[in-house]
Amino acid sequence: MRPRIFPGSRKPPPDDLSELRRLIARPEQDGLRELRERLDDKERRAHDVAKVLPEAVKLSADRSEELNRALRPAVEGSIRESIEKRPQAFIDALHPIIGPVVRRSIAESLRTLLQSLNQTLEQSFSWQGLKWRFEAMRTGRSFAEVVMLRSLVYRVEQIFLIHRETSLSLLQVGTNADATQDSDMVAGMLSAIQDFARDSFKTGKDEALEEFRVGELEVWIAPGRLAYLAAAIRGNPPRELRTCLEETIESIHILRGSELASFQGDAAVFASLQPELESCLRAQYQPKKTSGTNHRAWFALAAGAALLVAALIVGAGSEMRWHNFVRRLDSAPGIAVTQADYHWFTRSHVAGLRDPAIADPAALAQAAGINPERLRFEWKDYLALDDPSVLRRFERRFGKPASADLTLANGVLTVSGRVPYEWLSRVREEGKQSPGITSINEKNLTVTYDPALTLNRFRARFPMPSGTHARIDQGTLYLSGVAPYEWLAAVRTGAIKLPGIQRVSEEKLQVTYDPKLALQRFTDRFNLPDTVNARVQNGILVLAGEGPHAWLSRVRRGASTIPGINTIDEHNLTDLDQQTFQQSKSVIESAFVYFLVNKDNFATEGFAALSRLPDEIRRCITAANRLGLETQIEVRGYADAVGTETKNFQLSQRRADAVRDFLVKCGFEPSLFKPMGLGAPAATGAALPNESDRRVGFKVVPKS
Amino acid sequence: MIQKKVCLLGTSGVGKTSLIKRFVDQSFSEKYLTTVGVTIEKKTVELDNNSVSLVIWDLAGDDDFQRMQTSYLRGTSGYFLVVDGTRRVTLDQAMELQKRVADQLGSAPFLLLLNKSDLTTQWEIDEARMTGLTNENFTVLKTSARKGAGVEEAFTTLAQRMLA
Repeated sequence: MRPRIFPGSRKPPPDDLSELRRLIARPEQDGLRELRERLDDKERRAHDVAKVLPEAVKLSADRSEELNRALRPAVEGSIRESIEKRPQAFIDALHPIIGPVVRRSIAESLRTLLQSLNQTLEQSFSWQGLKWRFEAMRTGRSFAEVVMLRSLVYRVEQIFLIHRETSLSLLQVGTNADATQDSDMVAGMLSAIQDFARDSFKTGKDEALEEFRVGELEVWIAPGRLAYLAAAIRGNPPRELRTCLEETIESIHILRGSELASFQGDAAVFASLQPELESCLRAQYQPKKTSGTNHRAWFALAAGAALLVAALIVGAGSEMRWHNFVRRLDSAPGIAVTQADYHWFTRSHVAGLRDPAIADPAALAQAAGINPERLRFEWKDYLALDDPSVLRRFERRFGKPASADLTLANGVLTVSGRVPYEWLSRVREEGKQSPGITSINEKNLTVTYDPALTLNRFRARFPMPSGTHARIDQGTLYLSGVAPYEWLAAVRTGAIKLPGIQRVSEEKLQVTYDPKLALQRFTDRFNLPDTVNARVQNGILVLAGEGPHAWLSRVRRGASTIPGINTIDEHNLTDLDQQTFQQSKSVIESAFVYFLVNKDNFATEGFAALSRLPDEIRRCITAANRLGLETQIEVRGYADAVGTETKNFQLSQRRADAVRDFLVKCGFEPSLFKPMGLGAPAATGAALPNESDRRVGFKVVPKS
Repeated sequence: MIQKKVCLLGTSGVGKTSLIKRFVDQSFSEKYLTTVGVTIEKKTVELDNNSVSLVIWDLAGDDDFQRMQTSYLRGTSGYFLVVDGTRRVTLDQAMELQKRVADQLGSAPFLLLLNKSDLTTQWEIDEARMTGLTNENFTVLKTSARKGAGVEEAFTTLAQRMLA
């Protein structure tokens, strides 16, 4: 029964009644007060609601969509506001979720794609297609999958975990880490390249360079918020590798997110992530065999057998190649094979003799289709003396002019065709030093001369005077400018002895002469007499003094042929023989031999003249001979005017004869004299004293 | 081992690359400096009780023709402002540059290097200016990449500052 309350009563009730009321109503009142307080206190109300809210929401959600509808605007509004104000928190929160979601969705679409690809490929019946179909049957994969796998062969060589903020390398795993640069520098450079790409092409801040290819190497970058992975991959990696990388970087963010965020340069803490990174160090060379049903085992067996057969065929082929190679090697010049062992799995071995100057076994191996790396050579050096080897060694040493033919037989090297002179002269000098060559036969050989080299030889032999120019064209040495005679003289005789010079052309050359040297040449040739002084001036030989006629005539004839002498000035030179001749002539012609009256006997004073005459005649004749004159002496006899003319002629003839006879007795040839009886001088019109007319006189005349 | 990224900043031709070449004899490749605008080198500095691996970014010189790519500065723990002591203008440019990068690099420690200290006859920065710099709380060091003077000290000092 509910207690009744009378709040308006002021009048104090009797004690027992009030006591009773108090006893009955008190619990009610306390509960009421507490309820009121509860309703008034906001904080407590919130507490209470919080207690029941989850249950209430659950109940409400079970019952209808009403609550969802009611909450949607508020939730949407708050999320929107949150994204606008603090996007990073959302990104961080969603990052681990979105990755897998997106991947799943992509995987789903890929599966669909594979199926359609499958259908397409099922139409194809190529040999390749059949092989893949067979493989698909054997491995239990879908045909399309096999096709993809077969075309994707790759190997992840290295993976770097790189801190995004500092570009420092946190961890590196890889198959050949040694071959790479320092990982920090690689990491830095990778970051720089990414920044460079981003800055250069003005892409968004969060867009990153995802992959690039360098030759066979592809670098894939799996970005994360705080760090990213860079994988260096050889070959064609499948897309699933990217998934692996992305999953790995995601899990790294989950495992070490806080360490990445607070990274201060100490990478030691990330070392434990090595297994995560290594999980992406994948490689695929060929699809793996799967054991399966009996059916598959049979196929595997058959495939194994086929492989064996193939290996045998390949092996046989390679052995054939080997024998072929050894045969060729042995027959190659400069090689004598003494031992050859073929090894299937290790390097094959060849031993023997080799002339190192000639033979190149590695090249021969290459030519025979054998990898020289797979061979182990063991050679002892020797000198091969068979003709091909000798010839090859010769060619190595001297080279072979393009248009020359070289043949070797029995040690005789025959050179034919056209060869440069320099080559030939080297061969002539040193060729026989080449072992195996005893003589060199230059049959049908045309020697060519390089003008420049020929000119060099010429210059070396005849140093060029300043002012002289030379060039060579078609074997002719063209000289121009000014050159001293002496140099030119040496060139004239010497140049054509040089190989490559057949003629010397001086048309454009002006020759200069040194007067002293010209004089020297003159004196050397003409033995200058002591009595003659000579000098050369402006091409004129100036002679002074006295010289013998013979010398003088030689000089006259020959001096102008001396280079540097054009003419002779002999104004101050006396011809000694001419002088003697003239003197003797005048002495002889002024001598008279006198006779007695009417007699042909010499008068006493006639002897004086006669005694001097022979010497003088000798001098005269000698001088005349020297002058090249053939002379005769007219012995002229006279008579005085007394007597008849006839008698006088006879007398004068007798007198002339007497003088002639006298002179002949002195040793002269009779033919030297021409005795003439001229009768009385009156006949000549001269009036002389009588005794003077009885005489014989002389006249030196050219021989008639 | 602790690793730190370090950058060298300064006008073209002040000797940044030469300083690094003097300090480290290990190079990634000179080529990148012209193509990408940065080369990266590495050297370990031994301190009293610690050693730091410095990954040194040699940024292409900043000049009228080529602006420095500030994105390369990200994550830098310390840097050098390099000045050519024989060209006073490079000091002014370095101060400008410092203001430009201060936002991005915050309180990262840095040293001002007056390089080419061997060229005393052509020196253009007087004592007063240097005192002024010191009063502005710049740590200034004279270096000579040619003679090697002060180079080791500069890198060691920066390493100590970064670990402090």
